[in-house]
Amino acid sequence: MIVEWVQGQAQLVFSCLLALVVVGVMLLGVAYSILAERWIAAWVQDRRGPNRAGFFRLFGSFHFWGLGQPIADGGKFFLKEDIIPDNVDKPLFILGPATIFIVALVGFAVIPWGGQVQIGDALLNVQVANPDIGLLYVLGVGSLGVYGVVLGGYASNNKYSFFGGIRATAQMLSYEIPMGLAILVVVLATGQLRLEEIVLSQMGDGDVWNVVRHPLACFLLVVTLFAETSRTPFDMPEAEQELVGGFHTEYSSMKFALFFLAEYAHMITGSAFLMVLFFGGWHIPFVPGLQPGDTAWWAMLLKMLVMAGKIALMMVFYIWVRWTLPRLRFDQLMRLAWKGLVPLGLGLIAFALGMLYIGKPQAWVWTLVGNVVILATMLGITALIPSRVTGRQYDMPELPPRTSAPASIGGP
Amino acid sequence: MSSVTVAMLYMLFALGGVAVYLALPGGQRSARIAGLIFGLSAIAGFAVLAAGHLFGEDVSAVYFCILAAVAIFGAGKVITHPKPVYSALYFVLVVLAVAFLMVMQEAEFLGIALIIVYAGAILVTYVFVIMLAQQSGASAVDGRAREPLLAVLVGFVTMAAVVSQAGHLPGNSTAMVDAPDAALARLAVADGIPAVDEPGEADDEPLGGSNTAQVGFLLFSQYVVALEIAGLLLLLALIGAVALVMKRVPRDVPVAPAPPLGEIGKEVPPF
Repeated sequence: MIVEWVQGQAQLVFSCLLALVVVGVMLLGVAYSILAERWIAAWVQDRRGPNRAGFFRLFGSFHFWGLGQPIADGGKFFLKEDIIPDNVDKPLFILGPATIFIVALVGFAVIPWGGQVQIGDALLNVQVANPDIGLLYVLGVGSLGVYGVVLGGYASNNKYSFFGGIRATAQMLSYEIPMGLAILVVVLATGQLRLEEIVLSQMGDGDVWNVVRHPLACFLLVVTLFAETSRTPFDMPEAEQELVGGFHTEYSSMKFALFFLAEYAHMITGSAFLMVLFFGGWHIPFVPGLQPGDTAWWAMLLKMLVMAGKIALMMVFYIWVRWTLPRLRFDQLMRLAWKGLVPLGLGLIAFALGMLYIGKPQAWVWTLVGNVVILATMLGITALIPSRVTGRQYDMPELPPRTSAPASIGGP
Repeated sequence: MSSVTVAMLYMLFALGGVAVYLALPGGQRSARIAGLIFGLSAIAGFAVLAAGHLFGEDVSAVYFCILAAVAIFGAGKVITHPKPVYSALYFVLVVLAVAFLMVMQEAEFLGIALIIVYAGAILVTYVFVIMLAQQSGASAVDGRAREPLLAVLVGFVTMAAVVSQAGHLPGNSTAMVDAPDAALARLAVADGIPAVDEPGEADDEPLGGSNTAQVGFLLFSQYVVALEIAGLLLLLALIGAVALVMKRVPRDVPVAPAPPLGEIGKEVPPF
């Protein structure tokens, strides 16, 4: 009887299995992204990264390039003392890290991992859930992410944490708007809210990936993803030099680890979302086994591998940018969102609506030309508007020419 | 509904009103505990009253009961909790529970839109403002309710009136659910768009039978005037906000003359 029930509920059972596998792989992926972050940081700064922690020294002095490091880090987090300071708001102090991690994990439910797979005589979606409103689900869950940061900052009862929380709220609310606009461009172009259908719309006959159709919208989404995950150059909420640690100053042990891991989980979710919307998800053109008609189990595994590879590439990009670009100042960050990205997004929306009106929302040659025109117009307008000078002002006195060694400052 | 049921319904409303009045911030601790007990018994009374109507239907009634209880509990906490931040967070809980109720009624678009708009934007702004306003600790005014008796009376009398006019417990409210569907089908047939109940045809149209398409279709056919008015109102609010915060700064503000390079910091006394 149970067997029959299971056969009737094939999609449900498959979804549950997939959810278990995806969450497990993602937690491991989060741990190893941190190792990747440290490796790439070391490589950018021309030094050696973590390379000591191996697995039990099974093979003499061979350390497996430090692959045991995330496990050692995890053990360290568990063994540290978990301090809850006296004058914090205790329920909110605990709710903060829990919220941010839950939100980072549930966003994964609608990401399509590998098209469809034939098991027995059932054709199953390789996706935990495929609701009508998949794209809105990702947006809605993502918009809840700010609560973790805000609660952490407020409950800590510490002015540095508080400023971190305030900055995070303003930043995330501002960058959600251009993010929504960029996503709306894709919705207008494909006429779909189901993520699986959006992937499929990028691989038909004569179709291209959305990044070719709407490169500016893709750029917009990449920038806003950086801001939503509070990664450099947008890591104002935890700017170390000004705010100690920002919203997580008062946290220690596993509670800090949850904040730390949630950042990487958010990055992975955001990367997966970007790949689905703009880079064809599990698809690579002209490669057999990666086409929508391939439903064998090995094709499913291949598609999942391709998807994971694309996410890994985006993660490397995230990390690379972090160790290359300096941090923006807060007024620059706000100006970029409201005076740069929002007008650009509105222009792109108007253009996508126009393409829809003439009935060619997917004609990629025309959308590409339109994107170039929009970019040129934006750059032209930017060049014409006089920008406010925020650094050293032109009416400040000139620096005197340095003739001799500067006088020593301060007394003995 | 029989007159006995209606009478019991009104009694439960009265009980709920007393519970909220007792639980509002500012009262004695024992009164608030009594309010909690009254409130819980009112919710239990509703559950018993609704049980006969709900559990004949299907399993989803259980989810409905749980989510409804969470929503009512959260809503009670929103107005009775003494700390404003907690009130805002319980509001988030209410929004989430109601959104899931909507998803269960196959109104996915409305549910997610509720989460994005309320939980994701409006309530974050509330929390933001509360945090900014309370840097020096909670003020004494937050600790007690204003005009608790009048508020409770107006709130619960209105709710009782609305519920008695709706006249249906959730299990047998088919008449209310059918009406928009019929209107939609009529409109759809008139415009040549496949109706929801024909999945074979709906698949051909992009967004054919989906919930979002139905909402969009209704918004831009039956309710287009309301939509336009709402858009206009939002635009006016936007312009008003900009006009309120705009401060005209003269271009040539006198800049304090910068001291010569060696003098910078000289006037600051040393430690």
